[in-house]
Amino acid sequence: MSIKQQREVQIRSDNDIVATRRTVRAVAQSLGFGITDVTRIVTATSELARNVVLYAGSGVMRWRELGMSGRVGVELTLEDNGPGIADIEQVMQEGYTTSGGLGLGLPGTKRLMDEFEIASEIGKGTRITVRKWRR
Amino acid sequence: MADDSIAIVRVRDVLMIAMPADPDDATVSALQEKVLQVIEQSEAKGVILDISAVETLDSFFARTVAETVQMVGLMGGRTVIAGMRPSVAITTTQLGLTLGGAMTALDVDRALDMLSNMH
Repeated sequence: MSIKQQREVQIRSDNDIVATRRTVRAVAQSLGFGITDVTRIVTATSELARNVVLYAGSGVMRWRELGMSGRVGVELTLEDNGPGIADIEQVMQEGYTTSGGLGLGLPGTKRLMDEFEIASEIGKGTRITVRKWRR
Repeated sequence: MADDSIAIVRVRDVLMIAMPADPDDATVSALQEKVLQVIEQSEAKGVILDISAVETLDSFFARTVAETVQMVGLMGGRTVIAGMRPSVAITTTQLGLTLGGAMTALDVDRALDMLSNMH
């Protein structure tokens, strides 16, 4: 797997959710993803960036283009230094929420992307990595 | 920003509201209050929420739309959500979102027909 580029967007407030979406939309379009996959990727980004603002206050999104044996993809990593997640299995369940939301964010995001990884440590933060491959 | 604002136009007793392509959270939140206020002032009976420009409908946006439909209903109005793009319909469904059983139409024309047939 080769890393062709890596960039980041700081997430500090609601407004940065829009900036994050716009960055990812431009990246996905430039990589040649179709309109439905662009929408899936951008929507997943929006859910993850909002989680950062909601639960950690601030964080960062990093993105990079993936190239592997002729396949093209995009990888997004959202990282924060927030409170962390005590029970990852629980937050991956449909309908579980601590914020009064719908509890669809993480399981829904996982469905929209091809690969989904989550690492979290109490008191240290959370890192979520998602990938989508161009069809 | 001008391209982020919500435009509300009244045609007879229907309010037509066009959502921008990529609204920020504040704009989405402002939708609710603005719509309810205009309904009270204008005594409109129906609302058409035109989302044909909307490129991303995440869970926050969808929840706000569903709540707005419910609130308009409590004030005696009916809402039709019009113009959802195919890519948005696919993504919204896979994300697991519903719009709370709101009435929907392919476009604003058909939404107007729906509302006028009801009165």
